[in-house]
Amino acid sequence: MTDKSELFPGTLDMLILRVLSRGELHGWGITNKLEQLSQSALQVDEGSLYPSLYRMEDKGWIEAEWRMTENNRRAKYYSLTRAGRKQLEHEQELWARMNTIIGLVMQST
Amino acid sequence: MNFFRRLRYLFRRHLTEAEMAEEMRYHLEQRAAELATDGLPADEARSAAQRKFGNLARIQEQAREARGWRWLENFAHDLRLGARSLLKSPGFSLLAIVTLGLGIGANTSMFSVLNGVMLKPLPYAHLPQLDRLYRATPQNAEGNISPADFREFQQAKDGYGDAAAYTPESVSLAERGHPAEMAASARATANLFSLLGVQPQLGRDFRPGEDTPGRDRVVLLSQRTWQKRFAGSPEVVGRSVRIDGEPHVVIGVLPLSFNDWRFLGGVDFFRPLALTPEQARDRTSPSIRLIARRAATVAPEDADRFVAAFGARLAKEFPAVHAETHWRRVTLQSMAAGPGAAMVLPLLIGLSGFVLLIACSNLANLLLARTMARAREFAVRAALGASRLQLLRPLIAESLLLALAGGVLALFVAYWFRDWAALRSTGDNGEHVDFVVDWAVMTWTFGASLATALAFGLAPALFALRLDLNATLKSGGRGTVGGRGHQRFRQFLIIGQFALAMVLLAGAGLFIRGLDDLNKRRSGWESRQLVTGTVALPAGTYGDAEKIAAFQRLALERLGALPGVASVCLSSFTPAFVWPEIRKFVVEGQDRPVAGREPAAVVNRVSPQYFASYDTRVFSGRAFTERDTAGSTRVFILNQAAARGLFGDQNPIGRRLAPADGDNLRWGEVVGVVTDAQPAVTDANPLVFQIYLPMAQEPQRQFQLTVRAANVAPAALVDGVRGAMAELDPDLPVSRLQPADATIHRASYQDRVLRDMLAAFGLLGLALASLGIYGVIARTMAQRTGEFAIRLALGASVRDIIRLVLGSGVRLALLGAGVGLLGAIGVTRLLVAAYPNLPTNSPLVLGATTLALVAVALLACWLPARRAGKIDAISALRAE
Repeated sequence: MTDKSELFPGTLDMLILRVLSRGELHGWGITNKLEQLSQSALQVDEGSLYPSLYRMEDKGWIEAEWRMTENNRRAKYYSLTRAGRKQLEHEQELWARMNTIIGLVMQST
Repeated sequence: MNFFRRLRYLFRRHLTEAEMAEEMRYHLEQRAAELATDGLPADEARSAAQRKFGNLARIQEQAREARGWRWLENFAHDLRLGARSLLKSPGFSLLAIVTLGLGIGANTSMFSVLNGVMLKPLPYAHLPQLDRLYRATPQNAEGNISPADFREFQQAKDGYGDAAAYTPESVSLAERGHPAEMAASARATANLFSLLGVQPQLGRDFRPGEDTPGRDRVVLLSQRTWQKRFAGSPEVVGRSVRIDGEPHVVIGVLPLSFNDWRFLGGVDFFRPLALTPEQARDRTSPSIRLIARRAATVAPEDADRFVAAFGARLAKEFPAVHAETHWRRVTLQSMAAGPGAAMVLPLLIGLSGFVLLIACSNLANLLLARTMARAREFAVRAALGASRLQLLRPLIAESLLLALAGGVLALFVAYWFRDWAALRSTGDNGEHVDFVVDWAVMTWTFGASLATALAFGLAPALFALRLDLNATLKSGGRGTVGGRGHQRFRQFLIIGQFALAMVLLAGAGLFIRGLDDLNKRRSGWESRQLVTGTVALPAGTYGDAEKIAAFQRLALERLGALPGVASVCLSSFTPAFVWPEIRKFVVEGQDRPVAGREPAAVVNRVSPQYFASYDTRVFSGRAFTERDTAGSTRVFILNQAAARGLFGDQNPIGRRLAPADGDNLRWGEVVGVVTDAQPAVTDANPLVFQIYLPMAQEPQRQFQLTVRAANVAPAALVDGVRGAMAELDPDLPVSRLQPADATIHRASYQDRVLRDMLAAFGLLGLALASLGIYGVIARTMAQRTGEFAIRLALGASVRDIIRLVLGSGVRLALLGAGVGLLGAIGVTRLLVAAYPNLPTNSPLVLGATTLALVAVALLACWLPARRAGKIDAISALRAE
């Protein structure tokens, strides 16, 4: 197994929102997608994934629906809501700004 | 959105949990499948997946936490914990619940009375616009009006709205195949029911114009009479019944709601109020009760002004009748409860509030003790970083549970009280006084128990939170003595309890004593050997004075001849009750006062044997005799108060009086003076002048029959009397024919209900207060064992210790009683206001109450103090 890269706290929600912004997925699919997009650098801990999903569902950023998968299993698919999309934009902006600031500080000599 | 999702989660938790599990299972399987494609054997793949996934239960727990209402779940958890901890100390819990249940129960019961009597609206349309109008006289603030007054108001009513009138009467009701019965009837104007907005359930209402003589032989039955006498048969409409011997046609049946005991509920049936032109001109006999409905445009203040102005106009135009009167308006709803209720109900509510307060301070004491006992636990938890809320939560949960259980118990008490009250307050005519336990009462119960449990459960909890952690931890875990503040607070509670108990006991004691005194104080007459009954001769058969007089002579003769009868008499009223008939008199040879302001007296028409039958002493002159007839000189007998009041020191015998009826005075001679008769009722009796007339000179259709038994029990005479009367006239019922003492007893049942309630409050208060002081002293004993052991070791005797403990308890009780004495005096004032005739000034009762209170406190302290003798000094000190 590969080494786990620790996520900055609070960034998991943003990443999930980002993944879901490309289309609906179930929990397993989200894990896969994150691994795939991060080129296996990210290993999502299920212990954080599901609480995060439920929290965001409660907040109304994502919504869930039970549907059949390609291989005919029942799975819960999550998709972004309009509020979720807004939240994603907001967090992306925040992230970018934070990145610049941290970059500025770190690169100063 | 959010809210509903959470709510859904809360209620469909199992479903959502299942979904969560399924979702995670799918995840696991997918992971396992992936690993399997990498070449791992299936079972290894599965366990690897599981390892990777981590602790499923923990994840689900975290997920659960992310959704739903954490605090609500926590709360349920707290409740479970609270229940468990309450069950662990069943003694405490039971005591707290019973205390709360009794306190709230007493309060709820009183609220149900208030609810039933005052808050529940009468079942009439336009209720807020309905008023009773009274013609207040100096003797009677709720006086009725005369037919002429009514006609006058009818003509003026346009400035007000609409008006209807009724007048109650006792009549005999007979139909074929049934013996005649006395019934409570009322004559009403044809518009009474439409004014009240009541429609007959069966048949029709009175028609306009049926309230004229000749067309008035129709009758509307009450629901109760219909069920009782006519078995609820719908064919009753159109049937003919005989009322006072006259045939009447039943035209309808009133709805059940009209049976409301507070107003007209006791009436068996209604007939139209048909006044002959001669009757309608009568301005002197106040027989009519007036109900008015304000027009929607007339404001209450305008109505008051209108009524007052109308009364003033009458007083000016007819001073001889109305000089000392004024008119006033009372809403129908507020008069429904009766005049005493406005005074007595708040008193009862207040006293039940006292019981509740005692219960509350008991509860506070109990909870405080319990909390203090856990002080160390709290201190440790606080030291470990528990927040205030976290410390408070289990206490709140416990209080809530206690409140709930107490509330349930209180409801049982309220139901029990309802049955008790219903049993005791069935009216004279079978109408039920109904205190329903409805939503209002339920809300009150649980509101009150929640409020008290939270207020009195939290107060000690907040105390606990102010604990000095260091001090508590340092005091080595026995830090339960509590600071001076706690001690003082608990002492304050005990003093308060005893003060309240004192008020309750003294109030109850004074009332009981007063009622007792009242029975003893009745004087000037004797009732032990008497049988009394009420007779109303029907106007149809006994049309004029001569016929009435003839019947009365015959009745006296026949009844007097019965075996075992010592004497017989007829009278308008018996001395046991207040005489309602008031007349004004002019004295010959004295200046006549301004018309309408002559001296007033209550009058009673009596037959010759009256004074002998009632054992009323004739002081001077003579009693009436058979020779005082319609044809002979008019004669009067005065009581001593009237003799003194009208004639001063002069001898009244031979002087002449006349009723003040205009200028045509009919003089009569005073022939005797008798003892004052003091009735046996709690009502105010402002008039002490009593004047007697011979019944034969003013025969009346309705009269009281009194038979004195010679040497047999009065009850044994009842059948003989009834038989003799039936022989005289089979259509003539005698109502309430029974020993006089039974009638008197029955009349004071309301007072006795009140007495029982007050006694119950007093005893309840005393019991709760003594429980309270017992608890405190017992705790003190437990806490100070070490101290006492040292004292014993240093040479104190067990007696000294007991004295020490008793002294502190009794001091509290005495202090409380002292404070309560002031409150008791206040309650006495209230009782005096409500029952002016009740003797309530009794230092003896107050002294006895104080003594009883201290005695109970002594006992309650002595029980735990006794244990001082069992203290084993050595082992107690070793345990330190």
